Parts: sequence; C-alpha cells; structure tokens
Amino acid sequence: MSYVLRTLTKKQEVDSVIRDTIDKVLVLRFGRASDTVCLLLDDFLAKSVREVSKFASVKLVDIDSEDIQVYVKYFDITLIPSTIFFFNAHHMKMDSGTADHTKWVGAFQQKQDFIDVVEAVFRGAMKGKLIVNCPLPPERIPKYQLLYKDV
Amino acid sequence: METGKSRSVTNPNRKINATKQSNGSELKKRKRSQFEFCEVCKLNHDQGQRHKYFPSHTKSLSTFLSRFQNKLSDIRFFLTNPSLLRPEHASLNRFWCVFCERDIDELGSSFACTNTINHLASIDHLKNLKYFLWKYGGGMNSVHNFTISEQDISKWQKKCKSLKSEAVSSTTASRGPLVGPSNDIHNELNYGNVNSFANNNIDYVNLRNSNGVMPLQYHTNEYQVSHSELSEVANVGLFPEDVSSSLPIETNYGTNSKNLNSFIAKRNCQHSQRLADGYLNNYGISQVYQNERMVKGESSSQGSQSLTPIFPMVPDGAGGNVHSGAPPPWFEAIDDSQQDVQLKPVLGSLVSSSIKQGKSKKLNPKRVGAAWAEKRKMEMEMEKRGELVKTGVNANWLPNFGRVWQSGSRKDSRKEFELENQKVSKVENQPVDAVPLKIQPYISKRMQRDASG
Repeated sequence: MSYVLRTLTKKQEVDSVIRDTIDKVLVLRFGRASDTVCLLLDDFLAKSVREVSKFASVKLVDIDSEDIQVYVKYFDITLIPSTIFFFNAHHMKMDSGTADHTKWVGAFQQKQDFIDVVEAVFRGAMKGKLIVNCPLPPERIPKYQLLYKDV
Repeated sequence: METGKSRSVTNPNRKINATKQSNGSELKKRKRSQFEFCEVCKLNHDQGQRHKYFPSHTKSLSTFLSRFQNKLSDIRFFLTNPSLLRPEHASLNRFWCVFCERDIDELGSSFACTNTINHLASIDHLKNLKYFLWKYGGGMNSVHNFTISEQDISKWQKKCKSLKSEAVSSTTASRGPLVGPSNDIHNELNYGNVNSFANNNIDYVNLRNSNGVMPLQYHTNEYQVSHSELSEVANVGLFPEDVSSSLPIETNYGTNSKNLNSFIAKRNCQHSQRLADGYLNNYGISQVYQNERMVKGESSSQGSQSLTPIFPMVPDGAGGNVHSGAPPPWFEAIDDSQQDVQLKPVLGSLVSSSIKQGKSKKLNPKRVGAAWAEKRKMEMEMEKRGELVKTGVNANWLPNFGRVWQSGSRKDSRKEFELENQKVSKVENQPVDAVPLKIQPYISKRMQRDASG
C-alpha cells in the first residue's frame, strides 16, 4: 500500500480525477498492492511524484475493486501493473515498440525512465499529439505477450 | 585535464584532430572540433575553446552566475546567523552546487545549511569552481564569490558552538516572569512569541506584508542593528508542538541578545511553515500590544537592555486578524489573481497558483484536449462560486480512449464498448477476473461477443 499516493477504488473517483486534472498528465496505475511488480512500480511512482508534480499527477487504481471492473474491461487491462496516461481527459498513447500502445505494462527500470516517459507524454500532449514515441531504449522497456483470440 | 569528474565533455586532443582535419582541406578556415556541451548555454557546440568568448555565452554565463549568487546569498545569511535546523525540515533542504554538479542534502545537520556551508568551504569545491571558471570563462578573480573563506567558516563554527551551548545550558528560571501573558491557547508558543515580539515586533509586520522571501532589512533600531548578527533559535521556538524547543527562546530572553529573524530562514523549504508562523504572529502581536508594558518591565528587571515599544506601521493589523476571523493575507492574494492564474485542481491538495514567469501565460491552444480543458475550467470556476450545482457525473461516463485492437476512431471505440457491454450483460453475467494470475490469456471482446452472439 503506498502511503504517498492515493489509491482509488470507485469509478466515480476515477472519473472525477480524470475530469479534474487539467493541463497536467494524469498517470493512472492499474494494479494490485500485493503484487511485486506493482510494488516496484509504486515505489518509483512515489519517489518521483514530487518531481513531476508540476506537469503530472499520479494516482493508483485498485483493480480488485468492483467498481473498477468497467474500466478494466474498457481499457483492456490484462496484465498488471498497467499504467495509462491521460491529458485533459483524453487518453494518450505511447509507442514503445510493444504490441499495446494504449498503456504502459510493467514497471520501470529506473526512476528516471518514468520521468522521461511522463515528460514525453506531456510534450506530445502540449503539441497536440495523441500518440507519442517512447524515449527509452528498447532494452529498458518491459516486454510482454499480448494474446489475441487465443493465438 | 581533470579526470575526477563525470562530465560528458571533451578531451585535450581536440585541437590535434582539428588541425589534422584542416590539413586535409586547406580551404576550410574554421577549425572544427568535436562537439561539446556547454553547461552554461545548455547547448552543444563545436567551437571548442573559442566558445567561451562569444557574446551569447558571456551573457548566459552572467545570468547563470548571478542566479547562483542569489542562492548563495541565502547561504551566506546563514553563515552569519546560524540557526538550528529541525530534522523534519532537513529533508526539504537541498542545495545544488552547479560547479560540482551535485545535490547537497541537509540530513543529519544540526544547523541550517551546515552541509552546504561545509561544502562551499571545501577544497574539492574550490577545485571544481576553478575548473568551471577556466572552462567557461568566468574570471578567476571571482572565485571568492562562490566559496566560503576559512575565516568565515571558523567564525560560523564558533557561533554554532555558542548557540549549542546556550541551548544546552538554558534554564527554566526565565520562564517565571513569562507566566503573565498567558491567557492564550498556545501557552508555550506565546512565551516564545511574547519575548520575541517585545524584542522585535516590527519584523513580523514587515514579514506579513512582504512575501517573507528575502532576509529582512531591519529597521534602524540601533538595538537591533547591534545584535542583528546573533542567531535566532526563535525559529525553532515557534513550533507549537515542541515544548522543549521554546527553551532557546527563553535563553534569548535571558541573554537578551537575539533578534527574531525566524521568518527569513529557509525560503526554499519552510515557506508553508513560515506562513503558519505568520499566522501565529498575528496572534502574538495582539497579545504584545496588551502586555507590552508588563513584559518590558520584567525584561528590564532581568537586566536586559531597554526594549523599545513598537507600534505597527501598517494599520492592517487592526483590519483583521485571527481573532476577528479575517482570512489570512495570502488567501486574499490568491483570490485576486485567480482570474489570471491557471488552476490546477488535484484531489486533496491546495489550489496553488502557478504563474510561469517568462513564458506566455496562454497555453498552446492546439494542445490535446484544449477545448475540454477550457470548458472544464469554466465549469469548475462556476462550481467554486456556487453557481453551478455539481451535477453528478453520469455514472456511465467513460473517458476518451483508443482501444488496443481498434479499427476506428476513438468515438467508435467508446460506442463499441458500450454496445458490447449491453450484449454481455444481456446474455450472461460473466465476472471477468481481471488478473488472478499475472499473465492471462487475452480474450478479445469481439471473440466473446461472437461466441455469445
């Protein structure tokens, strides 16, 4: 359980957070507090939330909550932790060379990686782009398999 | 070349390479060296050693150095007026030394800026400073501006020692006469407050009016001037939660030698704390007006120097204070500037105004979600003012989201999702386990729909 970051458990809370974060990147981490990778990611998030606070805000969403299942389906969350970026209630995609551009799956290797990613999202959003390129080299991006139709 | 630093720059073979190149092409007049990064101009250039003489560089250098000088002047203030550093504030203090390119924390230091002061007096820093000036051409005679001399540091250390010994040797005797003005809620606090106020009222008033950012320019009260050098542990004494910390205040009182400069402490970290103190000041000031004479009488009986009665320069004090329930001055300031200022509403945090100086206040109108942002800001303003009752957001509201396996625009994706939802709920109520295991085979909604539909 991260004591620094707020964990949201209701859809209404998530909605209000998305709607109320204006002109800042909103980082929503979907995951579970007991999962090790989630904990690693949460640690990085907690440490860097202050540093990115001028252009981003970070919230954690607990996927075990009933309310949130709608979002789990809507955002197609199948692996945790999944991090989704919003800017002004618009979803920001990031092309990091993986199969899923809509979210960031997994943790980061360094705190600075997270900050770089958020910065890239912010810069792209301020320019009007809905999809940005990932600034990290491929070796630092967590790899995963997305299965489609049981393939 | 020094090898002790991890700069990404340069090597002395530049010139050799350059001359080799120019031999190859005689027509080329300009020697091109390898690209290096200039820390001052923050840009990569291939001008080699000539870069530091270019006017653009000299300009950037002067702004760069003057910025650092400003930060140093704060540190120098603490050099002359050491004050105790509370552990909870220590973690907020960091000093970035541009010459050594490292952060200096204040963990485990008992006096404000200890580590920083020690760093600025160290040999390593001097070395780095000289290297920097050589590289970027700041003028070698300005070295003393950026370091702390041995004399200064020894003086400072003596002051620290004396401060410590006073804090240690403080007695409770001085508490006696202070029982008088204790009709207050914050008892220990006001002991400290009253003392300091008797000594140095005007600084509070000044502070309330100014932003409290710069070290206070004392009014020419000769008493204050003569003792302006001595430290203020009063800073510590004003925190209500710590009784023991008010003891140093008593010793101030007893030794009658300290001015209260607490609010100028630590502009970079204790702003919020200071504001809280400023709040308490209002409280204390009114007390002093009532009890001034009593305190004065007592102080003279203590053998302290004569205290001058201070009356508030600004009539503001009568306008409103904590007792009358008036809002604190910083809220009023925010209200005024709210129109111009970009709101950043984050759940559970204060609304802070962010005025970007030097950048245009208008955000890029082409940024993502600009229309939404403007609309939402208006809505929030209205909600704040109470005009628009916050209608519960439709429980089925979904954000704009481009789906993973998607073949249309984002609006389509939302509609698709809603349709799928309806169909799924009609047929069967399958609870989708989000991830019982970390990795789960992905079942596309389409597949589910096809299977069920």
